[in-house]
Amino acid sequence: MSLLRALVPAFALVAFAGAAPSRDDHASALAALADVRASVREIVAIENGYAVGHGAYLRAAHRAMNALVGRRDEAYAAGFGDPGDGVGTLGHLDRMLDQRAVWAWTPAAQGAKANVLAAAENVQSAIGQKEMEEYQADLTRALANLALVVGRPSQDGVLGGLSGALANTSLGVPSGAAQAPGCGMPARAPSYGVVNGRLTYVAVPRTSAASALPAELDVARVVVRGDDVVLYSSVSRSACSRAAHAERPRMQRARAVAAGAQPPFTSAQAHAGKAVYAKSCIQCHGADLQGAAGPSVAGTEFLTNAHRNKWSVADVRTTVFDNMPFSDPGSLSPQQYANVMAFLLASNCYRAGAKPFPTSADPSLARIAIGPHGGKPDNAKTGTCIVR
Amino acid sequence: MSRIRASVLLCVFAAATFFVVPRASAQNAWPTSDDFANAAKDAASWILPAHSYSGNRYLSETEITPANVGTLKKAWTASVDARGPLETSPIVWNGTMYVTSSHNDVYALDAKTGAQKWHFPYKPHVIAFSANRGVAIADGRVYEATLDGKLIALDAATGKQLWGVTAAHDVTNTFFTMQPVPYKNMLILGASNGDWGGIGYLSAYDAATGKRIWDWNTIPGPGEPGHETWSGDSWKRGGGAVWSGIAIDPATQTLYADAGNPQPDFLGTIRKGTNLYTNSMVALDISGAKPTLKWYRQFIPHDVHDWDPAMPPVLFTGTIGGAPRSLVAAGDKGGNFWVLDASNGNVVYKLAVSTQRGQNTAPNRTGTIACPNTNGGVEFNGGSYLAETNTFYVPSVDQCGIWKSQGTATYVSGQFYLGGAFPKLYGPSTGYVNAVDIGTGKFAWRKHLAFPQIGGALSLSPGVVFTGGVDGDFTAYDAKTGNVLWHSPTGMTIQAPPSSYVVDGKRYVAVAAGPAGVNFADPRLNQGAPTLEGRYTHATRAMITAFTLP
Repeated sequence: MSLLRALVPAFALVAFAGAAPSRDDHASALAALADVRASVREIVAIENGYAVGHGAYLRAAHRAMNALVGRRDEAYAAGFGDPGDGVGTLGHLDRMLDQRAVWAWTPAAQGAKANVLAAAENVQSAIGQKEMEEYQADLTRALANLALVVGRPSQDGVLGGLSGALANTSLGVPSGAAQAPGCGMPARAPSYGVVNGRLTYVAVPRTSAASALPAELDVARVVVRGDDVVLYSSVSRSACSRAAHAERPRMQRARAVAAGAQPPFTSAQAHAGKAVYAKSCIQCHGADLQGAAGPSVAGTEFLTNAHRNKWSVADVRTTVFDNMPFSDPGSLSPQQYANVMAFLLASNCYRAGAKPFPTSADPSLARIAIGPHGGKPDNAKTGTCIVR
Repeated sequence: MSRIRASVLLCVFAAATFFVVPRASAQNAWPTSDDFANAAKDAASWILPAHSYSGNRYLSETEITPANVGTLKKAWTASVDARGPLETSPIVWNGTMYVTSSHNDVYALDAKTGAQKWHFPYKPHVIAFSANRGVAIADGRVYEATLDGKLIALDAATGKQLWGVTAAHDVTNTFFTMQPVPYKNMLILGASNGDWGGIGYLSAYDAATGKRIWDWNTIPGPGEPGHETWSGDSWKRGGGAVWSGIAIDPATQTLYADAGNPQPDFLGTIRKGTNLYTNSMVALDISGAKPTLKWYRQFIPHDVHDWDPAMPPVLFTGTIGGAPRSLVAAGDKGGNFWVLDASNGNVVYKLAVSTQRGQNTAPNRTGTIACPNTNGGVEFNGGSYLAETNTFYVPSVDQCGIWKSQGTATYVSGQFYLGGAFPKLYGPSTGYVNAVDIGTGKFAWRKHLAFPQIGGALSLSPGVVFTGGVDGDFTAYDAKTGNVLWHSPTGMTIQAPPSSYVVDGKRYVAVAAGPAGVNFADPRLNQGAPTLEGRYTHATRAMITAFTLP
């Protein structure tokens, strides 16, 4: 059990009277993690055990499912018991995501939900299996999904998943706990420092912290001052070098992407993609790429809209690879799709480089934002660049 | 102010005297509530999307007959913006026709000559594809609902914009394709947000100001009946868009609408349950301050193939077992034609009008084959009931597809929320014109055609049915036999419904045609597909064509 969780009661004592919000995302995240771990325990126990007979395996899979989906879900089978708290990881995540505000941790919670859903699908599949080998393969896939929900430490000290969000973002701050300016030395403990939604430090009275260091805080530096211990996270340095201000929720989907990063593609791909576009795309998106029956796909209107909707290159890639051409989706080869993506990026005045646009899904594309980027258009009216 | 009050009084008057008001005449400056309520009896004008509130494109006039329809000639054509397919249903009043382009340009045309009176250009942001089904007119205004989520009012005399309001709740995933329907002092409009992670709603707006009067969500929220048909919080992005037309029975103040398919389209595992009221017809009591649900009929529960009930509801009195019966028809993209009891939604008949296969097989990662394809079955412009033959005419699309789903669906604003991919066409792509005998629920006749039939049907007493399809052939069928009595190649794709009107004593039949658009871009057209009239390639023009007898 992490120290952060152990600290919750201590911090509850210093909650601001009347300032406590009605929802407690921090508690929900911890509960969601607990349910995931309960589910994992069920799976690991049955896979490592020596149970004989179909019933024990069915029971384990159902119990693992129950902890994930919670009793509101149709897949919940109460008769098998629930190692979780009944709300289920999905229930807790839904509660966290059920708000218009978007926080620095929101993408992590969305990602966790996607992986829980994938895990539940695999567990569901395991429930229906007749062969042991298939059953185990399904549960192994579910475990892989759940590992992503939990997250893990890496050599850079950064965690993914829910524990990563607890360690690195304002999600690590319990409801009602004292938040102090995120940079510099806190005036009192216990308190939390938050800059732009990133958790920069946890200050704890030494008497409470003596037992253990927080397992889910990415600690880069420890400062002991009087009776307080201040644990600075690795983001504190970079976060504090910029203008510091407290996190404000944004009302749109969070940007988990880096503006200004260059999407990969080569000029040869863009050139080849021009022919693909002329054959398969031009009828709906127009010779000037400004849209006709379909929407605009390059230039000022497209980039402005992409920015407003916080699209990444991966978002656009999914639509192009999976759903285009609209009248015959999936009818082009992966190379043709990559080429047409290159053509679209070049038409949007991104610069070609040495690295080609990948022909298969690449997670790094999800971190590259699409939007106005200061490229010099050839056509001032449409804001597009001509691909030669 | 006095004008608004006057129209409210008229509504009351109309409701009280519905059955005795004489046939509306075209001498008023603009149609009144009476005219709308009695539109079925005015064969000279076309003031509602499907001529009358019943949604039935049927005229009881007898000028165009099986005997003389062969002599129909082109009277005029008028070009409109061609950046997408035309789906406009022309509105005609006092010699003026009002039509729209796919990008929301509005045109006022001389209904006798096609000459342009005014043109309102518009440049909306297009979320996914461009389409518009036409305008509404009332009280000197022309109303249009746009691709960027606005409801706008134009001066009907000049085409200048009077006002515009943002009517969509979330413009990143919601737009409008539906033709607004004037009813009393309101405009009724459904939101198109089916495949982008919104939830559907029908709304009423004050026709004078655009102010929202009510919303009715097609997906029940927490605490509402039907909410339990969605697992977890899946209802929040559950779909159920109201894309196409509605029908209203003014006598009972009942509104009939179809809510579209659930989202994510192709991934059912994250929205376990039947997913009400997606893929359902709903009958709403609209007599009060807010609509209340009278009944619903779900056609395809827990759909994972994007098989919306696309056809607008058609209210009609059919004859079954020798007795008249109040019925409402529906058609879905899953290839089913439905006839329901209009009073309670009970299924009277269900008939497959397209090839069906693999209907209960959910898409998976490797791909499953099912028919119809996602653009198959009965499409958005629907069918028509002809009283003289007691037969319902409904065009359909015959295609199969390969569906793939993913394990997850992630919402990204402004992008598809599918949990998979739109299906790839598998095998041939053809169409049918189906004639369904309402007395028996069986086919009276069927015509199998080389191209999908998506144009909507218009039936004229005593026995002519007009419709068209992807190959652009505008065709008149003998209502009794299905024989082709007349046809005219437009050289463009027809996916708009025909309408008909009279100017200076002459009857016209008009239809819009244009590019195939994103849904019906037929690979055969790239090569120049053979048609009855030669070869047809993708059209780059968009036109309204009016035909008349010599």
